[in-house]
Amino acid sequence: MRPGRVVAAAAVACGIGLAGFACASPDTAIDRTEGTGELRGLALERPFEAPEFALTDSRGRRFDFRRETAGSLTLLFFGYTNCPDICPVQMAVLGAALDDLPYADRREVDVVFVTTDPARDTPERLRSWLDLFDASSVGLRGEMETVNEIQAGFHLPSARIEGTSPPPGAGEPYFVGHATPVVAVTGDGVVRALYPSGVRQTDWRHDLPLLLRLNRSVSKPGDEAGTSG
Amino acid sequence: MQWWCAAQGIPWDWSWRPYPGVWLFIAALCLAYRTLTRGAAPSRLEVARFAGGALILWVALDWPVGALGSGYLASVHMVQFLLIALLAPPLLIAGLPRAALERVRGVRATALLGFAARPLIALLLFHAIVIATHWPEVVDSLMASQAGSLALDMAWLGGGLVFWWPVVSPIPHRPRFPLGVRICYLIASTVLMTLPYVFLTFAELPFYATYELAPPVGALSAGEDQRLAGLIMRIGGGAILWTAAGVLFWFWYRSENDTAR
Repeated sequence: MRPGRVVAAAAVACGIGLAGFACASPDTAIDRTEGTGELRGLALERPFEAPEFALTDSRGRRFDFRRETAGSLTLLFFGYTNCPDICPVQMAVLGAALDDLPYADRREVDVVFVTTDPARDTPERLRSWLDLFDASSVGLRGEMETVNEIQAGFHLPSARIEGTSPPPGAGEPYFVGHATPVVAVTGDGVVRALYPSGVRQTDWRHDLPLLLRLNRSVSKPGDEAGTSG
Repeated sequence: MQWWCAAQGIPWDWSWRPYPGVWLFIAALCLAYRTLTRGAAPSRLEVARFAGGALILWVALDWPVGALGSGYLASVHMVQFLLIALLAPPLLIAGLPRAALERVRGVRATALLGFAARPLIALLLFHAIVIATHWPEVVDSLMASQAGSLALDMAWLGGGLVFWWPVVSPIPHRPRFPLGVRICYLIASTVLMTLPYVFLTFAELPFYATYELAPPVGALSAGEDQRLAGLIMRIGGGAILWTAAGVLFWFWYRSENDTAR
């Protein structure tokens, strides 16, 4: 091939590349979720009623989940503050996505974090850790058995201590194996979708308006939406 | 054990990890230099330049920079890019004695380099590589494996060698590439690198799943890390290219003065 043609081809390729970079946005990034329907998260084919439960929040007050979150779109996550990977990433991605929401929409979303490591997650530690991601989120604590019963109500596996034989000694390092999805519950107390680890800000940006629209429709009496489970 | 740094998805800690592939690569590079310069009597300065380039490569590829850049922080990934593509290549080339290059001039591989290192081709090729290797899908798919990460590092090094060859080579393949034009070549590169910088720095959302979903290191959010990466590209890359342009300008000014006398 003649040098002139090579230069021309390279120039065209470079131009296409630059134009492509200009058009590239995270919206075109690999969708790591296996979304069904319009949602990029895992939309449940059979939405089900969230269990009734009450735990203690980081200010020491009783938090009745169904009553406190009625009417709001609630994003619920079970994890622990010493988690080295999944929890901080899930919460950081979610927190950043919520920051992008318009104020009126943001007010309709509650974030509830339930610790699966009540021994180490003191109310103060829980609050300061959650504040890193979203100061308005609610941190809940309860006995491990109670938390596992609640997780079972959400069809999630139980949390378990790993890396040592439970109960761990004071100061002994350990991990807690736990469910990774963020659970989306609409204001009528129905679980609608799950967001496993690997969900990105672009996925939340896509799904939050859809979830809010769904939440508004189910929160108004007379609208069609309900449970089948 | 990993041979080459790649994204693993495991939490970061500051305990040292070995990457034998990096050591073998640096050893092979030094061996190739020794073989190439045998009988060519490189000066101490040339040996020092080459050693500096090899040292920079080693720092960029090995723990902790290589490990952090391949799987945790986009900003460190950008530091790697600057070291591998912009800082190490001119030193490696400047460390080659003229006699050694003259000896291998007829070899087919060097003929290919001679073709690729024509200024316009080198400029376009390098920036095509820069864009391709910062493309989100390319980065996310390559960084997930050791082979992919190695390919990306080698693309940066190869692109950097081709880019710097017309500027630094002791045997310029294009004698018609005078100092003044070389300065323009470098300045044009700072302009071309503005585009990736703009998209990294001003993007609303993180581009790379690798870094957005990586176990956290420090207090930087994924968005802040990406913006920092863009600034490093702009400021660090600009500093290297403008410094090189300044040095060329000084040579140009001196040669013009000598001619006037």
